[in-house]
Order: sequence, then structure tokens, then C-alpha cells
Amino acid sequence: MASLGRELRNPAARGSHWLPRILPLLFGLWLALLPSPAAAQEKFVKIGNLTDYNFGMVTNLTADRSLASNICVYSAKATPGYAIRAIGSGAGGAFTLAGGGGTLAYEVQWAQISGRTSGTTLQPNVTLGGLMTSAIQANCNSGPPSSASLIIMLRAAALQAAPSGAFSGTLTLIVSSE
Amino acid sequence: MYVNRLARHLPAALLIATTFAGTAQAATDGSLGATSTGSVVINASVAGRVQISKLSDVTFSAVDPGTAQQRAQSVCVWSNTAGGKYNITARGDGTANAFTLGATGLTAVPYSVEWAQTTGQTAGTALTTGTALTGQASLATSPTCASGPATSASLIVKMAAATLQTMQAGAAYSGTLTLVVAPE
Repeated sequence: MASLGRELRNPAARGSHWLPRILPLLFGLWLALLPSPAAAQEKFVKIGNLTDYNFGMVTNLTADRSLASNICVYSAKATPGYAIRAIGSGAGGAFTLAGGGGTLAYEVQWAQISGRTSGTTLQPNVTLGGLMTSAIQANCNSGPPSSASLIIMLRAAALQAAPSGAFSGTLTLIVSSE
Repeated sequence: MYVNRLARHLPAALLIATTFAGTAQAATDGSLGATSTGSVVINASVAGRVQISKLSDVTFSAVDPGTAQQRAQSVCVWSNTAGGKYNITARGDGTANAFTLGATGLTAVPYSVEWAQTTGQTAGTALTTGTALTGQASLATSPTCASGPATSASLIVKMAAATLQTMQAGAAYSGTLTLVVAPE
């Protein structure tokens, strides 16, 4: 109170404190310009329920081999669209497994619904857009337990082109909101 | 004291081990965000396999018994092992798998078999029935040589003049030679 009285009596002291007075105004302006939390969260996506793909020992090299698993992809948007991009651990992101004194090429397919054994073939580091998810919870704990299918395929031609031995690699999946 | 030190460092060691084990060998889920990145590990093993193809029948027809005869053919042997390594075993259909040709009512006559690991050869390593010739290597890049080299090895079948001279003119001699290829 004494301080306020001093400022009112002393214009110079009053002028030196203009910044604190407009700070709330600046803060309000900053908040107004920020996207609303709801709008930011609407762009949130999540990919989960991922499991490894173990083909074991492939003895028949004349037939294609594939493994499919159900994935949870969640999009917080009112219209839950998303896009996916896959990158392999081969040279330049190629879908190849390493080992056995060489490489083993594989194919990646994606389906926007679960339980599928085939889907759209993905190319390394190329985005597949226009996808929709039925997941209603980020971890698919409620609603559908999964919302998409990831299929890994070893083509016979690739099996025959690879040297015998054990192969391993990592496939990275990047989901973004659409 | 040593035990105390071990106990003190054990949790950290376990954490490090678990962390590295997780990143190298297990799928990881993404987190909720503007983008979400997950990963899966893919493991596969390819069994060692071989294939022999492009075999043709061998015919000695109306040959001059005064001259030794041989028939060579280029065949395809493919192996997916390191270096295309394989071994080959040949068996005839004579007594005890002997390399012989038979004719009804006549004495069986012998022939010899040679193998070369390159194509276009007219001589190679003599094979003994039932005994694997090891250390062979193939340049074939597809199981039936549909792409890459058209053939990768040579099979040579020979009949000695002395044998031809024991054969009855006009009689039909026949036999089957079985070739077994295995990865090495």
C-alpha cells in the first residue's frame, strides 16, 4: 500500500514499472494465438500393440511366407484419419534383413482394418495416406482391441536369392495424423 | 565388501542389460503425439538348399566299338550356401548300385561317370558309386538357372572301347544313373 502511494506520487517511478503492467496483456495475447489444447490433441496419434515377426527356419524356398499381426493405431481427430510410413534397416531404409553373409529382402503390407493377411504394399520411406482407424482409445484398451494389420512377406524369389543362414532386421513405422 | 559392491551395482547392470535387450530384440510401441513411431524386429532363417536340373538322357547309339565313347552335358546345380558349395553322389542301377547298363538275357556292361563343377567340360573327376564328391562350388544364381548362368556343371558319361566290344550288336542296353546333390 505504501509502495502504491509512492508510485502515484512519483510519475518517474510509475513509468519504470510499465512492463509488469502489460505483461498480463502480452500473456493473454500469446494464449489467444496458441492453438487450443483441444485442437492440438486432436492431431495426436499412437501406434501400439506391435510384436516381433519370427519366421523361424524357412525350409521351403519355393513358396511365399508371410506373417500378419494386428496393430492398434489411434487418431484423436473427430475424423480419425492417419498416414503411415515404414523404414527398414537396410541400406537407405530398404526392407532387407541382414545376416547369413548377405541380405534377405522382404515386403511390407498395411491394411487399415485388423485381421487381414494382405494389404497395400508399402515402399520404404514412402507415406501411405488416406487411412482411417476404428480405435477409440489410444491403447485400444476399450473399443476394438486392434485397428490395423501389418503383414510381412518373404517372397519365394527373395528366399531363393538369399544365402542360407540367419537374418534379422528392424522395421520402423511412423504414423501421422491426417 | 566385494559382495556389497556387487549388490550395489547389480540394479544398474540389470537396467542397462534390460534396456539394450529391449532395443535390440523386441518390438517397441509408439507414444501418443503429433506423430507416433514404433518398431518391430523381423527374424528369419533360410535353410541350406540345392537343386540339380537341366539333365538330359545319355544315348550311345550304333557306336563304333573300336573307339571309346563319351557323352558330356552341361547341367544346372544351384546351392544357396556360402560360396555355392555342394557335394554330389552318383548311383547306378546295377548290382550294388554299380554304374552298369543291362539288357535282357545279356551280361551287364560298365560305364564310368565324371563330374566337373564348371560348365562345358568334357572331362572331370571320376565318381565312385555311393561316394560323395565334396567341395564343389556352383556359380548358379537361381535354382533352375532361369537367370544368371544357364548351366553350372558338367556330367560326363564314358564307355571304354573294351566294354563296347563285349556288347551284343543290336541289343538295347539301358540303365539309370541317379545323382544326389547336397549343400555343404
